[in-house]
Amino acid sequence: MRLEDKVAVITGAAQGIGRAVALGMGREGAKVVVADLQAEKAQSVANELRGRGTGALAVEVDVANEASVKRMAKSAFDRFGRVDILVNVAGIYYPKASVVDLTEEDWDRTIDINVGSNFLCCREFVPAMRAQKSGRILSLASGIGHYGMRQFSHYAASKAAVMGFVKALAREVGPDGITVNAICPGSANTAMPRRHRSEEEVMARLRSTPLPHVLEPEDIAGPILFLASDAAAYITGQSYNINSGSYMF
Amino acid sequence: MNQIALITGGGGGIGGAVARRMAAAGIAVVIADFDGAAAAKIKDEIVESGGKADALAVDVTVPRELKAVVAEVARQFGRIDILANIAGGSAYAKRLEELTWAEWKEVMDANLKGTFLMCREVAPIMQRQKSGRIINTASNYGVTGSALRTPYAAAKAGIITFTKSLALELAPDGVLANTVAPGPTDTPRVMEKESAEARRRRWWPNIPLGRTAVPEDLAEMYYFLTTPESAAMTGQTFHVNGGVVMP
Repeated sequence: MRLEDKVAVITGAAQGIGRAVALGMGREGAKVVVADLQAEKAQSVANELRGRGTGALAVEVDVANEASVKRMAKSAFDRFGRVDILVNVAGIYYPKASVVDLTEEDWDRTIDINVGSNFLCCREFVPAMRAQKSGRILSLASGIGHYGMRQFSHYAASKAAVMGFVKALAREVGPDGITVNAICPGSANTAMPRRHRSEEEVMARLRSTPLPHVLEPEDIAGPILFLASDAAAYITGQSYNINSGSYMF
Repeated sequence: MNQIALITGGGGGIGGAVARRMAAAGIAVVIADFDGAAAAKIKDEIVESGGKADALAVDVTVPRELKAVVAEVARQFGRIDILANIAGGSAYAKRLEELTWAEWKEVMDANLKGTFLMCREVAPIMQRQKSGRIINTASNYGVTGSALRTPYAAAKAGIITFTKSLALELAPDGVLANTVAPGPTDTPRVMEKESAEARRRRWWPNIPLGRTAVPEDLAEMYYFLTTPESAAMTGQTFHVNGGVVMP
């Protein structure tokens, strides 16, 4: 097991990619803090982990709320005493709106939840990682942060901002043995794209990649487990694409 | 059944570490290197520690030689699951106006053409198998450029985009092609030219993780790209460089 005795905090862990990461980390021996706005679903993932013999704690968190993030961090430290891995998965991919129709409120909401969350969460866990001279931070960005997408300017900007944040933080904390990387998934078979596309549209998109491989949450979790492990000790500041070949940067 | 990996430059620092890492995971490795003795040395090491390995001398810029090597591996094992093109390097540190045409060609051939020729030879085998992983080797210089290394930087940039095109061509058959881009790495070849102390002074202050790489750092990424966990990654460039370049 690659993550034996590590403690991992995963935001957005109640479903989709976050859930796959939580289950994968548990399988690799980590204790897992399942953090999500959806408390009941988070509890159910934590129960699933405990059922497999993994130490797990469900925490309700609004990642764009400073006080809520501080409470989440306190719960994690109170329960497990340390945190080795932070995976920032929580994010939103709506509403769909062209720039001229996008409200300031929706703009702020997307930026706060998708990238402000990275700032708030990292700020809580970096001091402890610095003190222990080790840590792994992984943030979900998106290929859309590279190539843009019409009617999703807010999302594209927020995900590009995640990559910029990751690079800057990697430079700040590298000397303390902490690595920081971004993962850029392509469209994956989760609930997220189904918010604004029909089932047919979602599946057509998933099947249109060069590689005949529908991108599942586990495909995203695998590289995250690798980057969280000792094998990736020399990788920092990078944004790796996982997208069945749909985009190459 | 063991997976079969063909590793060019397998007798060198990074190539040797990749061969050892893959062999430790139960992959049978064929170590191909210009320096046949270096390849044999890594092979012996792997076999002594219980792994499966073979060694071959090959110049990847000579089509006749590499055709023979690939044919031999395919004959012996019946398949090739992994091709890691690691042979290459930057032989010269020269200003553009001092470079001869022959020197330019030598560096382009050893890096870019060798990669093309090996892929051309192995890809059809993987396409028939409907599976395979090709891992090519670039450099952070392929993205940033490097003074005194114009042909090397050009060749490595070429490898990155060659690999993207190859990935698109091979994707329908389930064959993946990716590039690993090492940063400054302490291999025996570079350590011959520059002392550990000089490298420390030159590099360490500029690397966020505060050290140059050891070949094993790279080997983990090559190995990862052979596993089921990387099944959805193709056409990508994976920089393993301590943060010295963040494209």
